Amino acid sequence: MQSKWFIAAVTATALGTVATGACADTFKIGLSNGWVGSEWRTQMIEEAQAAAAAWADEGTTVEVVVQSANVDAQGQIGQVRNFINQGVDAIIINANSPTAFSPIFAQAAARGILVIATDAEVSSQDAIYVGIDHKEWAMQSAKWLAETLEGKGNIVAINGVAGHPANEMRVAGYREVFAEYPDIHVLNEANANWDQAQGQQVMQNLLATYPDLQGVWVQDGMAAGAWRAIMAAEKKDDIAATGEIRKDFMTVWSEENLTSGASVNPPGVMASALNVAVLKLQGREFKDDIFTGTYGNAIYLPIPFVSNENLAEKLSEAEGKPGYWSVTAAISPEEAAAFFK
Amino acid sequence: MRALLKMERPAWLLAAAALVVLVVINGLVQKGFFAPMVLQSNLTTFLPLVLVAIGQTYVILAGDIDLSVGAVAALVNVITVSVMAALGGSAGAIAAGMAAGILVAVACGLLNGLLIAVLRLQPMVTTFGTGIIFSALALWVLPQAGLVVPDAYWSTYGGAILDVPTVLWILLLAGLFVFVLARLPFQSWLKAVGGNRSGAFQSGLPLTGIRIKAFVLSAIFAGLAALCLTGETATGDPLMGQSLGMGSISAVALGGTLLSGGVGGAMGSILGALLLGMIGNVIYFAGLPYEYQTLVQGLIVLAALAGGVVLARR
Repeated sequence: MQSKWFIAAVTATALGTVATGACADTFKIGLSNGWVGSEWRTQMIEEAQAAAAAWADEGTTVEVVVQSANVDAQGQIGQVRNFINQGVDAIIINANSPTAFSPIFAQAAARGILVIATDAEVSSQDAIYVGIDHKEWAMQSAKWLAETLEGKGNIVAINGVAGHPANEMRVAGYREVFAEYPDIHVLNEANANWDQAQGQQVMQNLLATYPDLQGVWVQDGMAAGAWRAIMAAEKKDDIAATGEIRKDFMTVWSEENLTSGASVNPPGVMASALNVAVLKLQGREFKDDIFTGTYGNAIYLPIPFVSNENLAEKLSEAEGKPGYWSVTAAISPEEAAAFFK
Repeated sequence: MRALLKMERPAWLLAAAALVVLVVINGLVQKGFFAPMVLQSNLTTFLPLVLVAIGQTYVILAGDIDLSVGAVAALVNVITVSVMAALGGSAGAIAAGMAAGILVAVACGLLNGLLIAVLRLQPMVTTFGTGIIFSALALWVLPQAGLVVPDAYWSTYGGAILDVPTVLWILLLAGLFVFVLARLPFQSWLKAVGGNRSGAFQSGLPLTGIRIKAFVLSAIFAGLAALCLTGETATGDPLMGQSLGMGSISAVALGGTLLSGGVGGAMGSILGALLLGMIGNVIYFAGLPYEYQTLVQGLIVLAALAGGVVLARR
């Protein structure tokens, strides 16, 4: 009995070796996602899968394997271990912790596996980051708000989870911008944990506390909740507030003629990372001095912006998509080639 | 005859059988599963849950439950890492950090035990509450994931001692502890306390002390799991270990220990924890679409738990 399993295992190993050896331009890429609480993450994975399929037109077969579940950092390390044991060529990860993956990434790198983090930066020097700069993301919309208010007024900020790295970068970003406008007064900074309902609740409280409010800076999906509170208080014509990028909200934004603007963190970041990964796997070398950021391992992608000027255009792009669809963008393989020598 | 069979069949037999089946299936779907590197890598993933499940067993045997183990692990992790960072990277700093972490774990276990055994608070609600407090303390100690542990610490954990992987040493030592404890009167007392509390009281067993010791054991094993997690991640993260609470209770139940107390043992919990880990592995390597992986995993765990209950009822 035991020898049978042994033969089966040996055969499987042999077959596997033949399969990988037969075709040089076949890459296997593992996609790891550690949180499934929003449609944004689903769209992120689907766009990456589509980008992988598109490589077939260029004669390169990119096979993706996906692990996506609600796990803590340790569980996500388990996902990475599975990829390593499976022998993938590259791992693209939306990591649950900025620091906890350093040892496992070192193990992956030691086996010649390329590791790219996306959406959330990691400190490991064995990985690179391809995604947006969350500080710059916040600065864009803060600048929009300050200019819309013509540099003066009372505002409040509604943030995500205190202590979360992306949240801290964003807070640093808007604080830096508002500090440049002496007549803009930040009356309060509240946390609503990236939850739409909590965003609405916090906004209600803030509206009741501060009757003389001109502006609101609020992150992501919480903006839809905050705007609902603003509309319920019949203050939608007196207040300018940042928005978000899902079709449902943009429809309300357009119908109610809101004064809003939204930085886009496109779900296509993982697809962009995948295109960068394939080029690297094909043996190309990164340009010198391409990496920046806190950890010196980041390639920052452009951050689109939606405002009243281009809202109609973005809504037409969303036509036929479900209500949770987010405005997206990804760099094409040709654009990604600009990062390489 | 049937009663005799039941007497002779250890509670963990089903878990052992299921584990063998899963190992065989995994060997088939994953090439190279039996390579030493891969086995070590899998053991590294499963080890924290194995340790927490061992500790959880003693609490459950005494008829209690401990929901705070994940939070204890997070708190021990941030304390250990903070102490190591504050004292520099020397060998002394590593020892001090580990000692501080385990001391904090003991304190957590004592608090749980005193509230439940002395003040007679309900164990599930109490440990849910203390768990929130321990998580909050972890966030207070280290508000944002960070800090780095000395290289010697995590490279030893990921490496080998006397040519045997460190994680295997830890598993063997934990197994030895379980083996020895099962032969001491303490484990029979635990079962008596959980199976027939008033009888245990009337026969003169020190109920309060026994229950407190069980909670301290549980917290110490959560602390050991945290030291392993620290070795695996080489960093402090106040949000670590959240899945350990429910995971350990599932592992204990899968290992044949009755959640009502009095029957079972920690050897089964070790198998139960390995089983839970293997289920996740097999599903992944079987190539199921990721949308269904969590669903199928839940169904298999439910089936395994239900199977154990049905067999026990016969």
